[in-house]
Amino acid sequence: MTGRATLPALVAVAFTAGTAATIAVAARQLGEAQAAASRSVARMAAELWELSGGADEAARSFVDAGIAIESVPAPGSGQPANRMGPGESPSEPGAHAYRAGSLQPAVWIAVPPQPRESPLPPTATALALLGSLLMSAWALARRRAPAPPGYPTIVALTATALLGAVAATTHRWADSELEALSDRHAGHALRAVEAALDLGTDPERAARVAGLPWAASAALTRPDQLWTMPQDVGVALAAIPDPPYATPFTVAVGRTTWHAGLVTLPAQGPAAPFRALHLALLGYEETRAPTVPLAAAATAASLLTALILFLLPLSAHPPLLRRTVTAWAFLAPAALLLAIFTFGPLLFSLWISLHEWHLVDPVHPFVGLDRYRQIILDVDWWTALRNTGIFTLHVPLAMAVALGLALLTRGSRRAVRLARLALFLPSITSVVAIAVVWKWLLNDGYGPVNQLLESVGLAPVSWLTSPEVALVTLMAISVWMVVGYQMVVFQAGLAAIPRDWYDAARVDGAGAVQRFRHITLPGLRHTLFFVLVTSVIGSFQVFGLVYVMTEGGPLGATDVAVYHIYREAWEFLRFGNAAAMSWILFAVVFVATWLHFRLLEGRAVHA
Amino acid sequence: MTPAPRGVTLRGVEKRFGAVTAVAAADLEVRPGELMALVGPSGCGKSTLLRLIAGLEEPDGGEVLIGERPVNDVAPGDRDVAMVFQSYALYPHMTVAGNLGFGLRVRGTNRAEIEERVDRTARVLGLQDLLSRRPGQLSGGQQQRVALGRAMVRDPGVFLFDEPLSNLDAGLRLRTRDEIAALHRRLGTTMIFVTHDQTEALSLGQRVAVMDQGRILQVGTPDAIYRQPANLFVATFVGSPPINRLRLSREADGSLTGGPFRFAPERPLDAATLAVRPEDLAIAPQGPQPDITPAVRQPDSTATVLRIEALGSEQRVHLDGPADAAWVVRASPSVRVSPGDPVHISVAWERTHLFGPDGSRMGPAPRPIHLLRDT
Repeated sequence: MTGRATLPALVAVAFTAGTAATIAVAARQLGEAQAAASRSVARMAAELWELSGGADEAARSFVDAGIAIESVPAPGSGQPANRMGPGESPSEPGAHAYRAGSLQPAVWIAVPPQPRESPLPPTATALALLGSLLMSAWALARRRAPAPPGYPTIVALTATALLGAVAATTHRWADSELEALSDRHAGHALRAVEAALDLGTDPERAARVAGLPWAASAALTRPDQLWTMPQDVGVALAAIPDPPYATPFTVAVGRTTWHAGLVTLPAQGPAAPFRALHLALLGYEETRAPTVPLAAAATAASLLTALILFLLPLSAHPPLLRRTVTAWAFLAPAALLLAIFTFGPLLFSLWISLHEWHLVDPVHPFVGLDRYRQIILDVDWWTALRNTGIFTLHVPLAMAVALGLALLTRGSRRAVRLARLALFLPSITSVVAIAVVWKWLLNDGYGPVNQLLESVGLAPVSWLTSPEVALVTLMAISVWMVVGYQMVVFQAGLAAIPRDWYDAARVDGAGAVQRFRHITLPGLRHTLFFVLVTSVIGSFQVFGLVYVMTEGGPLGATDVAVYHIYREAWEFLRFGNAAAMSWILFAVVFVATWLHFRLLEGRAVHA
Repeated sequence: MTPAPRGVTLRGVEKRFGAVTAVAAADLEVRPGELMALVGPSGCGKSTLLRLIAGLEEPDGGEVLIGERPVNDVAPGDRDVAMVFQSYALYPHMTVAGNLGFGLRVRGTNRAEIEERVDRTARVLGLQDLLSRRPGQLSGGQQQRVALGRAMVRDPGVFLFDEPLSNLDAGLRLRTRDEIAALHRRLGTTMIFVTHDQTEALSLGQRVAVMDQGRILQVGTPDAIYRQPANLFVATFVGSPPINRLRLSREADGSLTGGPFRFAPERPLDAATLAVRPEDLAIAPQGPQPDITPAVRQPDSTATVLRIEALGSEQRVHLDGPADAAWVVRASPSVRVSPGDPVHISVAWERTHLFGPDGSRMGPAPRPIHLLRDT
């Protein structure tokens, strides 16, 4: 059968492709890091060239370590760019070039690419080749053999182990290569800053020559003088008793290794009080091995291999195999969408909550559960959670009202139908529109509600501007909003209760109240539960009403969890905090829902 | 222990749903302790009538009495009736014990007495081991018995059954039918039993009320209903296979003619229907046979056999006559005929029925004045 011959070959192909992808991911990352380093060195050379006013000694001394520098004439005055990549420079094809543009005439400084040792990880490549050979041999052997009776566990385990080993060795290789690159790069940066200082540049400008994001131009004893250096790094540097001068060294902060260096400052000059310039360099993304992509590639390949192997026993029954493959094909798009748009963002937010994460900063050091610890001690967050909890109390009230309305508006008379429509309208209206209208209605000054109160001689109420009242006002509006929807759901539930039960209860002598208690409520049990759980979850996620009507105020009285998270993310740009809070809120909702299931749905209702 | 059974009286009871008259001026007298079967085709109003008695529907006219008491304005729970529903209507969230005791509980009966009566009822119906189960965990027959028990536990004066057997399979239905009959013998309570199955009605009811289109057409013992149907509908509805009919029309000389038969009616009629039960016909094969069946000494007509249903104890012979009617004869298995055979038909005239143009019964048909003899 076709499946029997094709599937093992597919396994071998999937395995080989997986190893190739794993290695390619790392090689590409390394290549990019090397290009970035070359670019950076070229830029430093160009900066020094400019600082020295066209005297190339400074630049030359900077690139002493076997890197050639060539000045090339500008390719044309019309050239708008001040940077060229490999292949663009006319005289140095492989070089990265920068234009020292403020000089007349403008000059291009090109630095040829740094030599690469091995473009591929030797151990990993050998492992990958061996594994591919092994899998191919197995596939060939399988060609004539009948379909195996069960899942080929040994093959799957072997493939997974090999893929894991390839990924691990690749990772180690990439890690050490990038480490070395990073080290070399840091050395260049240090020398560039020294050269700039030698040229009499002020320390801040000199530090900027290094072009790397985290450079400090101040004494570590004066944190207010720190310049773009993370405080933790500064503290770690200050803690080193006797750091070497002019040689890069490393300091570990959290999970990130920083390259650092100390440069002596000239005795006179603008930074005279300080002895030395501290540099903290290269918390670069490029200098870290691509753990996640590598793991993803290896895992995907393992999964694919395992899936194809799962089909192998089925190949003895071609119709079953066809059905299975067809089913998978139908499920695949949905699974893919779920993975990309549901689980992906979910995991990403989890990742963000465990790392330092800002919109612009490319460096994301791991902070672990620190953030969760801070949030749990954060009073404002607890206030927001408490407000959310209080707000959620509107749910049982709304349900009681909705159930009453559902009982009242049964039947199909015209008036009843119109009443149902009117009650349902808020549920299909935009929250923002509702909020804007209510905000106007309840305005302290010109709101019709207060005017009405005054016209009948009552004192106006600060519906949205008093901390005591605002949350209650929002709860009342929320009741009004959700009651229509809940009523419709209850009506569906009521319609599903057989009339016979009511008739039987009437013959049994049950009055209206007893029928409600013994027939209606038990009959609506699942509906009530459904409405309760969905409404509570919805209530925990309230946002629009608060955002439009009160913006969390007055005095944080209506600051609910999701609004708090929103502000944390988009007002204070603390995405890590926002993500962590989201997960805490998720945990709260999860526990609440679980309790619902545990206490209500699981309980045997015995009348 | 069991309270005195109560009779049920309906006087001109009417019920309309919009433009539809479900029950029209119904008069019915159910005697205390009687088992009355209410039978009719679906939509005839029999269930509505039962619900009117239970108080689940309010009559638009007339009066309902239970015992001597008019109950038009009495709530269902206070009418001293219990009802068994077609769907059983067991409360799904209560146990069997909860279901049995519900009627007592809502009346505030004390706990010990509820327990005692539930136990007694469960013993009678063999439900002791099921008391802690939910209805969903019971078989159809068990649910049936719980529904019965829920009615019994309150010792009501009147039992109302709304097609309680129609959700059971054939075997269980027969058994439950016997159980209900036995229950009636033992309790001696008045029972009104609604069914669309005329066999069930005749076999179970001490008296049977036949309904059609909201009207009670006849009330009588099963035998009277079968042998002296008040009108053509009752005659047709009751009996299986259904009664054989033949349309008669008036001739110029005032006689009534249909197919091979010609009658001289006692009084002039424009049209009439002759009806004969399948067992009141006899057939014998035609031809020069010396041993002609004794029942067919004097053939009244001839026909050809179309089809034979051999049921073992009897055979139903479908004929292609007389005339354009297709009569069925219930014959002894000893009558040897096969499809395609021409046969003689003989009619037991004294047991036939003649129905007038309005469908009401005129009495047995007279002997035909002229017989179409076979050539």
